[in-house]
Amino acid sequence: MESTPIIPSRTETIRAWREHGGGIAAVLPIHYPRALLRAFGLLPVEVWGPPQVDPAPGAAHLQPYVCSIVGNALSFLLKDGLAVADVIIVPHACDSLQGLGSLLLDFVRPRQPVFPLYLPRGRRESDRQFLADECRALYGKLAAVTGRAPSEEELMESIRREEEADGLLTELHRRRRALPLTDLAFYRLVRAREYLPAEEFSALARAALDAPPADPRAGIPILLSGILPEPMALLDAINEMGGTVVADDLACCGRRLYPPGTSNDPFRRMAERILNGPPDPTRGSPIAERFRHLVGMARETGARGVIFYDVKFCEPELFDLPLLRRGLQEAGLPSVHIEVDLNDPLSGQTLTRIEAFLEMVAGQTEEARR
Amino acid sequence: MNPVNALRYHWNVNVLGPAALRLQRWQAERRPARWDTRYLAPPLRIAPRTKELVARHWLAGRYANGYRKVAWVTSGAPVELLKALDFYVLYPENHAAICGTARLAVDIASEAESAGYSRDLCSYARTDIGAVLSGKTPVGRLPKPDLLFACTNICQTVLFWYRVLAEYFGAPLVLIDTPFVYTEEAAGHAVRYVRRQLEEAVPVLERIAGKRLDERKLQEVGLLSKRASELWLEILQRCRHRPAPISVFDQFIQMAPIVEMRGDAVTVDFYAALLKEVDERIAAGVGAVKNERKRVLWDNLPIWYRLRYLAEFLAQHGVAVVASTYTNAWGELAPLIDPDDLWESMARTYIYPILNRGTGHKLRTMRQMVEEYQLDGAILHSDRSCKPYSIGQMDQRDRLIRELGVPALLLEADHNDYRVFAEEQVATRLAAFVEMLG
Repeated sequence: MESTPIIPSRTETIRAWREHGGGIAAVLPIHYPRALLRAFGLLPVEVWGPPQVDPAPGAAHLQPYVCSIVGNALSFLLKDGLAVADVIIVPHACDSLQGLGSLLLDFVRPRQPVFPLYLPRGRRESDRQFLADECRALYGKLAAVTGRAPSEEELMESIRREEEADGLLTELHRRRRALPLTDLAFYRLVRAREYLPAEEFSALARAALDAPPADPRAGIPILLSGILPEPMALLDAINEMGGTVVADDLACCGRRLYPPGTSNDPFRRMAERILNGPPDPTRGSPIAERFRHLVGMARETGARGVIFYDVKFCEPELFDLPLLRRGLQEAGLPSVHIEVDLNDPLSGQTLTRIEAFLEMVAGQTEEARR
Repeated sequence: MNPVNALRYHWNVNVLGPAALRLQRWQAERRPARWDTRYLAPPLRIAPRTKELVARHWLAGRYANGYRKVAWVTSGAPVELLKALDFYVLYPENHAAICGTARLAVDIASEAESAGYSRDLCSYARTDIGAVLSGKTPVGRLPKPDLLFACTNICQTVLFWYRVLAEYFGAPLVLIDTPFVYTEEAAGHAVRYVRRQLEEAVPVLERIAGKRLDERKLQEVGLLSKRASELWLEILQRCRHRPAPISVFDQFIQMAPIVEMRGDAVTVDFYAALLKEVDERIAAGVGAVKNERKRVLWDNLPIWYRLRYLAEFLAQHGVAVVASTYTNAWGELAPLIDPDDLWESMARTYIYPILNRGTGHKLRTMRQMVEEYQLDGAILHSDRSCKPYSIGQMDQRDRLIRELGVPALLLEADHNDYRVFAEEQVATRLAAFVEMLG
């Protein structure tokens, strides 16, 4: 009954894209206008670390108290891991990513052009206007390096393609429990959005959604919050320990379920899509809004507890945690906080803590039933 | 306004408090120097007045609720708007620094840590959140904010931190978001964005203040802000003189008014007096370090709980720390403030602090300081609590060494949390650095 969709790897995808004359944009976390890059024939391939790289090259530029997403990205780049990219996009999400963008521009100076992108920290009209202007400025930079100038219609077409993919991504998240996929298979599928062309992702998503529905997956339903589920073996481990992820508030996944835009101006539409996404501390969403979002998701999906799974030194996450956890506890949702370094294997300690947490949640559920 | 609160405020802030503070100042003026005068000049005569000025500011805060509207603001925020609307302005960062200097920061921060705030978070934030949760503070009492006013031009941390404060106090948070300037010039749309936010903030601030913003008053405040910043910059630039009349450690202590009382007339008077005293030192040939052999730069925030240790250790070896990118930050933008075009100039001034600019810009600033102040070396405090200031330092250090031939030391510490200050290790590294200076 469980199926595993065949998902092309990053390497295969990049090779195929290149063979068709396309360019590659290496993109750092978190939010950016995919449609804009695609309109220039650039395939956005996201760089969340990656995990398990030799951190030494990055350590020559960054102090040990900088998170491993940023440290690994720099190490990866210095080891020619981004050699395939034609441009590097560094969205501004936090002080560490800001520092990385600045280091690349001023000191490291990779072969490719580096384009930072500032994300405003609110949803005011001035924020929308600024982000639209920022996208317009990025358009100018991309036009200069690619020699292309996509028309407004081409931009809108690209936006529509991404909106369709994001709509399907949202639907996958909504129907995840009835999909015939393990958590690991589900996250492999949804995280393919990090590098697959939108149309390829949409085809895969449609196939998964069209598969005969399965009985809702058994297991203690939990909500996964944080940055990214790495190492991905974590997901199998959660299933093996009797848990099942029924919703997420992960920076790489659930926080990027962008709704469709409404504006007919392509730059404004790209901006409003990003700013209207689910709450995210790096976009300045109030903690109360995040809290309501988490509780709402838990109610909708039946989640009984929350695992906050963070990368060490992540300030945007760490500031929100005490109030979120206290509020969730009061709302009857216990939580556990786990911090990892992207270069660490899945540790016994992490597994023990998750197991203990799941047992505790199961115990509470049992008690409530009685 | 409640007349009892008004009476309480005037009695304590304008009558009783000043009298007590004057007495304390009189006593301080007669107290023998605490820092080692075998290597260091006697303390500045103005030091007791600084303490009095700062204490009076915090005293006013203690009785502000119920009498004046209170705003908690970040150190790089466009405070002129708030001053023109008569807010009492409290700087949590300054409060945390006071706790750090008094070596109370760890005790207070522990309150936040017990509530779940990670030790990996900024120690200023932990100190202040700890103070909010426990009421512990060396300044008597912190008034509750009617407004939280944060500007991202010093870091994104302040945004995350003020979002927490907004939840604790239920106070409105007004954000002035200043896009990071990666290149030499801020983009036109970024400056327009900042200006627009400043203009959009006004109705919110007016509603909380209960009064309309008087453009003329704003202009006056802007002028006072500019004048104080200019005087501060002049004072710092006097350290180009050999021997430097004051050290960076003096600057760290004397900078409190330019941060927390920018826009007040009393701040202008204060820095005019400080400049006069500095000039008197120069005329008399007095150096901050008695036997100034070498001159170095300090990069990043101070290590508040070890100012004296560092000043004495270095002075003992004839090393004077005479310039700092940090203290310079409150003066270098003075020329950008234009009271005749305040809105546009505020947008430009507040987007360009060193902390909102690229790592290459900071290196250029350091290079310029090395030349202008004739420096022999640089100490880069790698501050665990301040990522935007610290990221880039490893390359900056390497370039200073390689391109300017200047010995440069990366000193691992934290501005407020002494638990990460390894004294023996620091002493060894400083000794090696001093040796390299020759």
